[in-house]
Amino acid sequence: MPTLSLRIPWLCLVTSLIWVNSAFAQHEHSSSEFEVFVAAEAFHGTGQTHAGDADPWIDADLVFGLTQHQFRVFGEYYITPDERDLERFQMGFEFVPDTVLWLGRFHQPASAWNTEHHHGQYLQTDITRPYIERWEDEQGIIPQHITGLLLESRQSIGNDGAIQFYGGIGAAPALTNGALDAIDLIGSNPGRHRLSVTARLAYLPEYVGATSMGLLFGHDALTASNARILPSLRSNQADLSIYGAYIDWNEEPWRIVGATYYVDVKLDQTTRNESFISGYLQVERQLLKQFTIFGRIEDSARMQESRYVALFNDRDGDIEIALHRKALGLRWDYTRRQALTIELSHVVSLDQRSNEVRAQWSAAIP
Amino acid sequence: MERGNSVSKFTATAVLLTLLTAARPALAGEQLVLIVSASSKIEQLDSLEVRKLFLGLTVTHNGNRLRPVLNEADDHVKEIFLQNIVSMSDITYDRRLLRLSLIQGQTQPTAYKSITLLINSVAADPSAVSYAWAKDVAHETRIRILRVLWYD
Repeated sequence: MPTLSLRIPWLCLVTSLIWVNSAFAQHEHSSSEFEVFVAAEAFHGTGQTHAGDADPWIDADLVFGLTQHQFRVFGEYYITPDERDLERFQMGFEFVPDTVLWLGRFHQPASAWNTEHHHGQYLQTDITRPYIERWEDEQGIIPQHITGLLLESRQSIGNDGAIQFYGGIGAAPALTNGALDAIDLIGSNPGRHRLSVTARLAYLPEYVGATSMGLLFGHDALTASNARILPSLRSNQADLSIYGAYIDWNEEPWRIVGATYYVDVKLDQTTRNESFISGYLQVERQLLKQFTIFGRIEDSARMQESRYVALFNDRDGDIEIALHRKALGLRWDYTRRQALTIELSHVVSLDQRSNEVRAQWSAAIP
Repeated sequence: MERGNSVSKFTATAVLLTLLTAARPALAGEQLVLIVSASSKIEQLDSLEVRKLFLGLTVTHNGNRLRPVLNEADDHVKEIFLQNIVSMSDITYDRRLLRLSLIQGQTQPTAYKSITLLINSVAADPSAVSYAWAKDVAHETRIRILRVLWYD
């Protein structure tokens, strides 16, 4: 895929706004949505660890959407003291009920966690997200923000069930110094952005239910755009192939979320390819008086041997790459759309071990 | 003795029928019904379609997307809606709607705490679907009852 210049995303943005505006003008009514998810967090870690990019002391996630007949426009703008990003901006057309084709910047569907929780902390029972599901700007090692086309569809199967399919194709992030750099719709885009293809095929026992399980696939072609990467990676490019499976099982008062990913990293032919596995299992149980207890285990294999993974470990004190983690926490939904959460975790990273404690207030407004 | 017994049975039956007849309006008031505008072309919606609609999934009729309207005029209606229509607790339903906003920017259903405003809203929009006590809409010519969702 050719390098995408700055103009292309801007062109998409402007074209879509004109398209949507004219589409809406032809109809009498349109409905809109605006939600703000806010959170404040305190962090303490033993040893040299300190709060990293994934632990801002305060953050706000602004979600806005417009729906008019089959047309949809949707955006998510995320703000922290250090970051302001248009995380998602999508324009969609619903061909038939529950089948939508989106154009824009989206969260890749092969992530079991991020397509469910996105950036809204309040809807996530726990405080942290599994390391393998981290965003690119949190030293995440799997591309999460893709700019291109996303097809999503849910169709009936059997008496009550459904099959859900997501397929995404677009521009992958570039591999810059110590991070993946996704296409930015309102900022600069250094580096070369090549092809990303991602998909999810899921089975839902109930068409309208929250339980689902399925298979995940992703292929991301990454090009190193920083000379300092070459000595570490010994390759100009890394083509990631991701194969995964997940389950999100909901049966009140229980919820179980688990996913496992096999990641194959194809490097230049002069060097040896590598692969690693990472996965997690989280169990949640609602208790009386709106308390929820949760625990999560994360584990991995061969990540410590991967030169690709090592690129993301900048040894600045906060843990970027966890090999193993155990977390336990308690959440209290003390009033409508507000919650307090405490989470304790033990992390084994590439170069240290740490015990961490986090406390968080999260809310959804209005 | 035999004759007196027959008279007693007759009297008891008559009293029972009278009581039942007198009780009918009260029983009718305890029916939760699915409603649309009188100008709506919707003929019927089955239970799954109703559940999909109020859980934020797309339900269409003759190509038109239906619009769910929540009745929060009294706590009992909300309780029956949560238990019998969406089969969720209040907090789970609220999170489900929030999740729809977060995942796709989907518009959440409009909620009314006034039955008058709800009736006006449904009556004005042929794509709107809601629910209400039968007694609240029985004499409302702008509203059409599709079916009974719940009765006591």
